[in-house]
Amino acid sequence: MRSMQTHRVFITVIAGVLTAAAIAAQSPASSALARGKALWDQRLSNSAVAVLEAAARDRTTAAEAHEALGRIFTFKGWQQDNVFPGWHDEPSVRARAIAELKAALAADPARASARDALRVAEAFAAADKVDPAPPRDEVKALDAKLESYRSATSAPVSEIVAAIEARAKAQADPAPYFTGAQILIDRGEYARAIATAERGIAVSDRFIDENLSAYQMSGKSQGSYARGRATAADLIGWALFLQKDYAGAAAKLQEAERLSQGQDFANQFHLGELARARNAPDRARDHYLNALSLTGFSGGPPPLRQRASQALAALPRGGSDVPFDAWLEAELSRRREERKAAALKSLVDRPLPKLTLTTVDGRPYDTSSLRGKVLLLNFFASW
Amino acid sequence: MPHLKTAYAKYQNDPRVAFLLVSIDEDAKRLQRYLDEMKFAFPVARASAAHAEQTMGFDNIPATFYVDRTGIVRYEANGTEAHGDSPSRIAWFIDQLKGR
Repeated sequence: MRSMQTHRVFITVIAGVLTAAAIAAQSPASSALARGKALWDQRLSNSAVAVLEAAARDRTTAAEAHEALGRIFTFKGWQQDNVFPGWHDEPSVRARAIAELKAALAADPARASARDALRVAEAFAAADKVDPAPPRDEVKALDAKLESYRSATSAPVSEIVAAIEARAKAQADPAPYFTGAQILIDRGEYARAIATAERGIAVSDRFIDENLSAYQMSGKSQGSYARGRATAADLIGWALFLQKDYAGAAAKLQEAERLSQGQDFANQFHLGELARARNAPDRARDHYLNALSLTGFSGGPPPLRQRASQALAALPRGGSDVPFDAWLEAELSRRREERKAAALKSLVDRPLPKLTLTTVDGRPYDTSSLRGKVLLLNFFASW
Repeated sequence: MPHLKTAYAKYQNDPRVAFLLVSIDEDAKRLQRYLDEMKFAFPVARASAAHAEQTMGFDNIPATFYVDRTGIVRYEANGTEAHGDSPSRIAWFIDQLKGR
């Protein structure tokens, strides 16, 4: 009798819990869940995530909300490339995707759809750890061999050229030609260095063309063509400078400056050396400062940075009696600020200024046909 | 510039949209060779580099400006930024302005 009563109480409690669950089905949590899924159907990820995070805090909707979050983060982390123009995977959310799907299973271990989604996310994560094209040992060895000629100053030039060709044959990217050209410059083999760098341009273009689909957007491939050409032009210009062909050097180094948008350390340093040799200390100072104001990845190797500051210290500073280090620091931070300001200044939301244009053969250009139209105006040069 | 060609194909017959390329080349012969090679379908004009850079306030090429129907510059894209000049992005800018 007594045990019977305990039993009845227990059943009543269960019934109470079930009633509570039924009420929860129309609760704010479940409507948040539905709203979150609808937002995600519209690909409004931030709003969807915010609403689903709220739903995940409620016990009754936790499993489903965590699963929905896991699916969103899986998509963002691994699958959104190429889905919409300009969208890219966000690898930073990959760990979150797996954590959400695990939380979904913790809330409801029987949830088969969450288990499937977790399996997919974990397979993506495992695939990430596989490098589909690890650098081949053969290429690494040939790179090391070529690099060794930087210090092997008595090796015959024919050996260096053979090392460049062997590496280029193993993998068709332009790196061995550019490395080789630098080594040949250091050896005083200027004509050969120029020929090698020129060969590098053709190889660079071909390598990009052959792999064009990897760039996905033409802007990216354009940038890579320009980088290859800038590297070659700078090497050729530097070789010409060392041969004392200052006019030829100026043309090439300036071409490299345009292609690298003034953001290449070695090129700015070379332009500084050229200006100094041509007795233009103001321009030399400008280029050295440009070079030194570049930092991080594009900041150039420490020995070259030191040479640039030494050259700068030896130049007149227009009567300034501030100590060199303090002057340099002030100049560099001014340049960095200027670069930032230049990136912000623009014509946007202002009327198009009056431009003096001519036709290609030099007659005045009549712009009346452009009036009242949406206009794309592109400034370019054929260099 | 292939991306401009691709984008232009979409607007070639649209009377509400115009493309104008402005070369800042100094060497006219070199420019002509380039144009012969590229065979652009849109008009190309010339300006002196100093004048164009000063007036438009750019210091890198290519520089692209999107001007609305009333002559106000609405967007500007400088240099070959990573994704700045893909045809779909160009079309997006133009379509925004057509909708105004």
